[in-house]
Amino acid sequence: MSGIRKNRIAKSAAALIGAAALLTGTIPALADENAVYRTVEEIQESGSVRIGVFSDKSPFGYVDEYGEYQGYDVYFARRIGEDLGVEIEYVSTEAANRIEYLQTGKVDIILANFTVTEERAEEVDFALPYMNVALGVVSPEDAVIESLDEIGEDQQVIVISGTTAETYLEKNNPEIRLQKYDAYAEAKTALENGNADAWANDNTEVIAFAIENEGFVVGIPSLGSADTIAPAVTKGNESLLNWLNEEIKALGEEAFFHQDYEETLLSTYGADYEDTLVVEGGVIAGEEEAETEA
Amino acid sequence: MDPEVMKSYLPLYRDALFLTMRIGWQGVLLALVLGLVCAAVLQLKLPFIRRIVAVYVELFRNTPLLVQLFFLYFALPRIGIRISAEVCGWVGLGLIGGAYMTETFRSGLDSIARIQTESAASLGMTRFQIFRYVVLPQAVASSIPGILANIIFLLKETSVFSTISLMDLMFTAKDLIGMYAKTLECLTLLVIFYLIMLLPVSVAGSIIERRLRYAEFGN
Amino acid sequence: MQSLGIDVLFKGINFQRLLGGLWVAVRLSLISVSISIVLGTGMGMLMTSKNRLLQFFFRLWLETVRIMPQMVLLFVVYFGTTRVFGWNLEAEAAAIIVFSFWGTAEMGDLVRGALISIPVIQYESARALGMDEKTLYLYVILPQTIRRMLPLSINLITRMIKTTSLVMMIGIVEVLKVAQQIIEANRKSSPNAAFGVFGTVFLLYFLICWPVSRLAARLEKRWAGD
Repeated sequence: MSGIRKNRIAKSAAALIGAAALLTGTIPALADENAVYRTVEEIQESGSVRIGVFSDKSPFGYVDEYGEYQGYDVYFARRIGEDLGVEIEYVSTEAANRIEYLQTGKVDIILANFTVTEERAEEVDFALPYMNVALGVVSPEDAVIESLDEIGEDQQVIVISGTTAETYLEKNNPEIRLQKYDAYAEAKTALENGNADAWANDNTEVIAFAIENEGFVVGIPSLGSADTIAPAVTKGNESLLNWLNEEIKALGEEAFFHQDYEETLLSTYGADYEDTLVVEGGVIAGEEEAETEA
Repeated sequence: MDPEVMKSYLPLYRDALFLTMRIGWQGVLLALVLGLVCAAVLQLKLPFIRRIVAVYVELFRNTPLLVQLFFLYFALPRIGIRISAEVCGWVGLGLIGGAYMTETFRSGLDSIARIQTESAASLGMTRFQIFRYVVLPQAVASSIPGILANIIFLLKETSVFSTISLMDLMFTAKDLIGMYAKTLECLTLLVIFYLIMLLPVSVAGSIIERRLRYAEFGN
Repeated sequence: MQSLGIDVLFKGINFQRLLGGLWVAVRLSLISVSISIVLGTGMGMLMTSKNRLLQFFFRLWLETVRIMPQMVLLFVVYFGTTRVFGWNLEAEAAAIIVFSFWGTAEMGDLVRGALISIPVIQYESARALGMDEKTLYLYVILPQTIRRMLPLSINLITRMIKTTSLVMMIGIVEVLKVAQQIIEANRKSSPNAAFGVFGTVFLLYFLICWPVSRLAARLEKRWAGD
């Protein structure tokens, strides 16, 4: 008796699994056929470019109260979309995901305040730079930290996972206790809440934070080497890399990034930082010829 | 996959495992205590406190731990309540766990036949005595499968601690991927370490459960 | 309300954005639950099979789901599959796969439990009454199975909705990420936004999940008497 029952169950199960297989057939369809990266032609054919930006890093990449992406990086992204002649699909990224997103082809370009470093250049391809950056440390004004030596054993410094500040401190000051967050919004809220004694990040970012938040000062305005920020593409994507380099050079002629600064950063930084921050046409001031790190 | 890379990451994962286990089990402990107390309050129908407990249980059972932690860690300091990440971690886990455990204990308590409490009462036991000596031991025994399931659930939930800067297993993996992009190595180690943490609990759980079933049969 | 940071919710379309984020979470869980119910029913039936290999396979599946945190599964599927197989999954597809993988196992176990809890005498009596197999399943077994399963499957929905909060970690902009974006964009004008916005998200989750779990509890109580 129970043999018949089991058989019956197994039969209906087989039918159900068949139906389910059809249903799940829709899932692989959601996945992109193309494994690694897309060339300029493929992007243009598809009609949209996927650009990874921050969505919680004001004033570089954030979302305003109307749900629109805004900021210095986004201003550039918008122009890229225009010049490619395609729609832009913004992908909200966290610092630690940036390399991963490129390597797995989840975005075509990362425009998320991505500092050019040797380690990263082994994993992704950087285009010409569009901004200068160094590291900086911001702390509350009633307990300003002006040098890394002042940081005591019981003190903690906030860093964001996957940033150059994290790598720098891990490498050069392993004795400093780090408090690590995934997202900019979390790190900043934690600093405001007094969960740590300082926050180390790109100096652009900590300067902006100190300007926008009363009670905080940038005790260490420049730390480590002077670096640049550049768009990045998946390793080997020559087509898109070359296109971006040409684009950045061409934009230099119309002083695009100065315009970008004035539209997005001026209200935060004032005019004083314009020439120190902006890199125009991929040419770093003081260098004869712009050369990207391979 | 590069075994050398994995080897060099081992100490980091080991530290993370210890941290995860410590905070996880502290949370489980708090959850058990809270669950017992709350279930007792509900069962004894203590006026007023009963309502607070009911609200607490509903609130924490119907919201995600991640959101609770965000609230505890990022929102409360804005109104002057500052709690360290570690305390947030195990208190948060204890709070959500307490709500689940309350439900589990309560269904255990409900399973005790009315006749038992009535007989105990006719023997002249006080309400507290009945609860302590008659109801509770049986209720705990019958809730054990549920408790075990909750414990595994809670230990798994520790994976969201990473969002409040606790260097748990999940965070270690994410952090290393962000720094060195050795994704496969990091993810493999992550899976292995969660197995190390949870497989023994799961196996122990099914052994205990099987024992209980035999005991039941013996009755 | 300024001091509690609730005011930011009324700026622009912030509150709608938050609700939009919540809908992303709810939609993902509804899709996953639907897939889980279909696949889980099949799996539950197969789990009653005496085939050792099949039993082992399902056991392994169930244990994997029970032991591995959903967040780990999300990372493995989202980032790992591209590395190993070269598939490029969208974040949402990865989330649906993980949640369905989990939900199917849980549903399968529920269905199995419900099926084996129906006494053999029910089958025998129905057949003695001259019912054919189709009638037997449609009118005797199925209604009872559904009754036993329904409250538990409804609970699975709330568990899924709650778990969707994790998809923020693989880049899906759901309610928590929108909350962070709002806090970030208003850090200067509304320093206490973290309180108001995270508090609101907490309540929104509660308002979605609470009625559903009440429904499950009510159904369970009503049908427990049978």
